[in-house]
Formats: sequence, structure tokens, C-alpha cells
Amino acid sequence: MTDYVLLDVLLLALLTITAVAAVAMRNLFASTVILSIYSFLMACVWSNMDSQDVALTEAAVGAGVSTILLLGTILLVGSREKPERAVHWPALLAVTAVGAALLYGTADMPRFGDPQSPANSSRVSKGYILQDVPKVADAAGHHTGPRSEGNYFHDHVPNMVTAVIVSYRAYDTMFETVVIFIAGLGLILFLRRRTS
Amino acid sequence: MKDQHILRVATKIMFPFILVFGLYVIFHGDFSPGGGFQGGCVIAAAFILYGLVYDAPAMRRILPRGVSDTLMCLGVLVYVAAGAWSLLSGYRFLDWAALSPADPGSGEPWGMGVVEYGVGLTVAMVMITLFNEVSG
Amino acid sequence: MTHWIDWTSTALLLLGSFVLLSGAVGLIRFPDFYSRLHAAGKNDSLALILFMIGLLLQSFRYGTVGLSAGIRLVLIVAFILVTSPVATHALSRAAWIDRVQPWRREGTND
Repeated sequence: MTDYVLLDVLLLALLTITAVAAVAMRNLFASTVILSIYSFLMACVWSNMDSQDVALTEAAVGAGVSTILLLGTILLVGSREKPERAVHWPALLAVTAVGAALLYGTADMPRFGDPQSPANSSRVSKGYILQDVPKVADAAGHHTGPRSEGNYFHDHVPNMVTAVIVSYRAYDTMFETVVIFIAGLGLILFLRRRTS
Repeated sequence: MKDQHILRVATKIMFPFILVFGLYVIFHGDFSPGGGFQGGCVIAAAFILYGLVYDAPAMRRILPRGVSDTLMCLGVLVYVAAGAWSLLSGYRFLDWAALSPADPGSGEPWGMGVVEYGVGLTVAMVMITLFNEVSG
Repeated sequence: MTHWIDWTSTALLLLGSFVLLSGAVGLIRFPDFYSRLHAAGKNDSLALILFMIGLLLQSFRYGTVGLSAGIRLVLIVAFILVTSPVATHALSRAAWIDRVQPWRREGTND
């Protein structure tokens, strides 16, 4: 039981308690604050796994902006929950079955941080980590020959996450940006009132 | 919150520092954890703080709806325009080697920087639009 | 030279941990909202600042990298000094406007 595993177990236990509390609260305002605590604990879990990009995003979006927007919604909706307290048995059964199947599936996964796992030892991943994936020639004839001098970017960027999402997989990030833009467009079209 | 003097003064003090930190997170995306999405959220948080402590109409006075809509579209346009520049220079779409043809390896950080600004701008303006429409 | 840096920073970190722990105990044991907020506000402002000064002393032994980390720690302390008391003030003022009554000794109201 190494130290990061112990910290992980502690944080996940706190996370479970927070999630149950957020659902069981009847006052929606308290529920929102507990969801903000949940986001902060999630950022700690990511930070424990040494993935600082995800932790920063979770802290900025979840514990920052998302809480404010939920509080703004409560302003419009009211902070009392509807008083239905019966347990919905089919939903509970379905969730338990799917959760058990997922737990059974994770028994086959490689160990955390295993360098021999398929994700870490494939040729493409090694190329992304070292940032020397060669760019092969295209129809116009640029970059002829693999791995020749100047054929890959040798200004090694220290943050390999940014290097992958903005340079090697820039197409996906473009579509993510377009999706966020469409969300903003939907807000303007559906929710904006003419104030004249 | 007209008589909340302490809150108003503290917001006015912190507002430029939050903006500078958001810009720092965006353009240090290559060297430290960060990037466009995180920096955009921090910039939006600065404006949302201003809108909470003062009125939401006061926030719309410093950042009108037309400006935030335009900047939201401009961010996506910057991203796609950078890719189109590569396409029109004869390289492939979103191939950053087009930004420095003499030394194809060193065009990458330039392309990555420009694109992160576009992403940060769009994300910040969408978050501000969310705040305006849902609770402003 | 490094000997007194180690001792001072350890003392500051332990002091910060003690303040944090006592703030957490106070958060549970105090009878009403305002005194609990007093304990939590001490956590936010005082314990974090003690921690940061202790870590700042540790950053002196790492050369220029330590200098840049040290400047960032000083900036974090400055921003916490500005924002954390304002947040505590905003919370207690919101509770006062919402007519949360302080605890009185004669008739307890739990």
C-alpha cells in the first residue's frame, strides 16, 4: 500500500460520501455547495494521479464557474426539492448491475502506470511522448522522407498534453471548440429575450 | 449590492489580476499545465465575479452583448483560419509546419500558441453568455 | 546556514498544521454559525499564510527555480490576504441579512 494509493483510497471514500450527501439533501442550495466540494475533491484525485492539466480544468470549471451557474439557476427555480422520497427499484437495480459489470471489467485492466501496457508502449504513444512522430509526404511534395532533418518538430514542447491535443490531434480540438461555440449559439437562440 | 463597499473594492482590486492570471494560463499552455480551456474559464470567472458583485447590467456595460457574441465567433474563426492558412500555403489542413517553411520543425509552437488563444477566447465568451442568459 | 532555515520552516509548518486542526475542531464544536465562521476564516487566512511562509523558506535552497517558485508563493500569500477576509465578511453579512441569530447563553436555540 504505497502512499499515493492510500491517498487515493481516502479521497475516493470522501468522494462517495459527498456524492451520497449531494443526492440526499433536500435543500438544493446545500446540494450545489456540496457539488462544488465534490469538484474540488475530484481535482485532488486527478492531482494525485499526476495529471495536472485535468486537475486544473476540473478546479476551474467545476469548482469555479459551474457552481456559480448552478446557483444562478437556483435563483430562478427556487431551492426546495419536490417531496418524492420513494426508492425507484428498477433504477436501483439497473445502476447496480451496470456498476457491477464495470467493476468486473476493470479487473482485467493493466496496473496503474504500467510502462508495458498497450497504451504506453505502442509506437504512436512513444512517438507522442518523445514528440518525434514523422510527418510523411503529402501530394504537394513537402516533407519527403520519414524522419529526415526538420521533418518533425524538434522544439520539444514540455507539456506533452498540449502537444498532443493542439498539434497532433488538432482536428479534434477544433471540433471541441466548435461544439462549445454551438452551445453558446443555442443559449443565444433559445434563452435571449428582446429587451425592447 | 449597493452598500457592499468591501466587496466592491475587493472586486475592483482583484479583477485585473484574475485577467492576467487567465492570460498566463493560456499562453503558458506549452510549458506548464494549462492551455486554452482552463485559461478561458479563469477569464470568464473574472467577468462573472464583476457581474455578481455589481449588477449584471453593469457587467453588460463593460462587455456588451454584441461584443461577447462577436468575440465568441472570432475565437472559432481564428482556429479555423490558422488551419486554412496551412491549407492555402500548400500544406495539409492544420499542419503547423506551414508557419515557418524554412524550418518545418519550429512552426509548431507558433501554431499551438495562436490556436490556444482562439480556444480561450471562445470558451471565455461562452461562459459569460451562459451567465448572462441564465442568471443575468 | 541551512540548519536554521530547516528549523524555522518546520516550526512554521507545524504551527500552520496546529491552526488548521484547531480550526477544524472549532468548526464542529462551536454552537452557532458566526463562531464557526470565525474558526473557518482563521483556517483560510492564517493557516495558509503560515504554510506558505514555511514553504517559502524551503524554496531558498533551489537556486533560480526556487526563486521563481518563491515569488509565486509570495503572490499567492498577497492574494489570499486580499480575498479570504473579504469572503468571510461576505458570508457573515449574508447570514446577518438572512436573520441568523447569534447564540445566547440563557436560552440555547438548538
